[in-house]
Amino acid sequence: MNLFQAFRMSIKAIMGKKARSFLTMLGIIIGVAAVIVLVSLTQASNDKNMEWMRSFGTNIVNVYLDPWRNPRVSQELEDYIAVEIAGLTRGMTPNSSMWGSRVSYGAKAMEELQLYFGSADFSICNNYKIAKGRDLSYMDIQRNTRAVVLGAKVADEIFNYMNPIGEQIRINGEIFTVVGIYQARVTDPNMWDGYDKMVVVPYTQTRLLNRNNRISEYAIKAKDAESTQEVVTLLQKFLSTKYDDEWSYGVYTSDTWMSQIDEANRSNLIMLGSIAGISLIVGGIGIMNIMLVTVTERTREIGIRKAIGAQRRTIIAQFLIEASVLSLIGGFVGLIFGFLITVFWGKMTYDMLVLPNMMITLIALVVSIGLGVGFGLYPAVKASALQPVVALRNE
Amino acid sequence: MSKLIQIHKVYKIYGEGQESEVRALNGVTLDIDSGEYVAIVGPSGSGKSTLMNMLGLLDIPTYGRYYLKGELVSELSDTKLARVRNHEIGFIFQGFNLLGSLTALENVELPLIYQGIRASKRYDMAEDALRRVGLDNRMHHRPSEMSGGQQQRVAIARAIATNPSIIMADEPTGNLDSKTGAHVIEILKSLHAGGSTIILITHDEKIAQFAKRRIHVHDGKITEEL
Repeated sequence: MNLFQAFRMSIKAIMGKKARSFLTMLGIIIGVAAVIVLVSLTQASNDKNMEWMRSFGTNIVNVYLDPWRNPRVSQELEDYIAVEIAGLTRGMTPNSSMWGSRVSYGAKAMEELQLYFGSADFSICNNYKIAKGRDLSYMDIQRNTRAVVLGAKVADEIFNYMNPIGEQIRINGEIFTVVGIYQARVTDPNMWDGYDKMVVVPYTQTRLLNRNNRISEYAIKAKDAESTQEVVTLLQKFLSTKYDDEWSYGVYTSDTWMSQIDEANRSNLIMLGSIAGISLIVGGIGIMNIMLVTVTERTREIGIRKAIGAQRRTIIAQFLIEASVLSLIGGFVGLIFGFLITVFWGKMTYDMLVLPNMMITLIALVVSIGLGVGFGLYPAVKASALQPVVALRNE
Repeated sequence: MSKLIQIHKVYKIYGEGQESEVRALNGVTLDIDSGEYVAIVGPSGSGKSTLMNMLGLLDIPTYGRYYLKGELVSELSDTKLARVRNHEIGFIFQGFNLLGSLTALENVELPLIYQGIRASKRYDMAEDALRRVGLDNRMHHRPSEMSGGQQQRVAIARAIATNPSIIMADEPTGNLDSKTGAHVIEILKSLHAGGSTIILITHDEKIAQFAKRRIHVHDGKITEEL
């Protein structure tokens, strides 16, 4: 008997037992699809989180302090950063803001936006980039110019398709001239767009717009990851000499959050990967059960085949082909389902094209096909070694 | 007539040396010539089925020698045994032993496939065998769509399709009513008339009457020959 006949015989056996064949495949289909979908989507979610975190910029140190308990500390801190640790930084800006501000242009107005008071370094310390016009300049700060840079959302809503550069707007009633627009920082339409619903004016305008305010927040852009840690340590030390308690100030860096989130992401992936692995095992057990349940029936079939002259290797070849065909079809159907669900779900949830992880896909395929072939072959190998009379005795 | 089968002091012992030792065959010596119609008769548990399994190479003896067409088959490898069963022996079982997922034609084709015969020739041979048992009009039915008598005729067609030296029938009428059973016996008779060697295993003396030679088995031994 040649391979082609063994192949045809296997197909016949599969078609002759449609329910059993389908159930065997189902285990593989579910196993493969579940692994692909879970792992790919977890990874997409992690990537998304990291991308979001990165949108804050790297190597940024945020300082919070209480200017009422120590009124001179703001100026002292600014001097310290500008003079003592200038070598470690690329920029520094006051980062105070007023929530609930109102911006208007002619009849158009926008409420509830965030008004920042920044320096010329505001954009590099907060990871904004100029889309049009110019950024705040050193001269704007020094001369106390009534200049404003708009967040992307504000420019969109108030000016639509008009060019806002050079136009005059009112911020909480005071007239300012638009000098530039920032690029949108958040491109995901499903995400909170507060980061683009803002405007920034020179911090020297604080008194004009917010009479009582003192500067309580700073953002510093450090040169690199190493300097970031150094800046954090130095500022903590500096501020500890200015206050007699630890609650009046705080020094943080987004790098530490990022590494924490990265850690959390990794454990997420491991957890969901394990769940997917379990579903693969459950699928495998399903395959095993179906195969073992039919051992008796198959043993008898093998007995009949041996009685009428089938050789052992012929029988094993037939069952091997049968199990392989079933597992391969199941594996590829699972693969297709896994891909479709991943892409569809990714589009719905993250609004982006999520493609399955190739490594995981390969592992899932190999494991499930291995299980299918292994357990499909098991009764054949066992039963074909029996004397025909013993195999035939299986009722 | 030439000697087709010679078995010499054949034993089949289960659990040898233990307290529960069973001697299913206890030193059987037997010759069967080509073209004979032999009935092996005995009550259940007498060892007649073990004898038939031994003769049909479905089982191997614990001791003793078995020559088929002069070849010592009791010492052959598993693979060679399969080839001998395939070419020399056709089985008819009490429970038919057809494969449920295959049609009548495909069941009959199966031993021909194992012989490696080309598809077109195989089809002709299988069709011819089915015609000889009067089932050429039901070739594409599955066993589940057939009566017991029809299934047994498919099994007979499968047994004769390869033109084997020996046809072994183990209680072929056991699962059939007397009318269809008589039909099966008729077919065996005509096969014998056509020159086939037939070994019929039965507990039923009436069916054994059709055979030219009757061998009685009791407690694993041949007790009388007629």
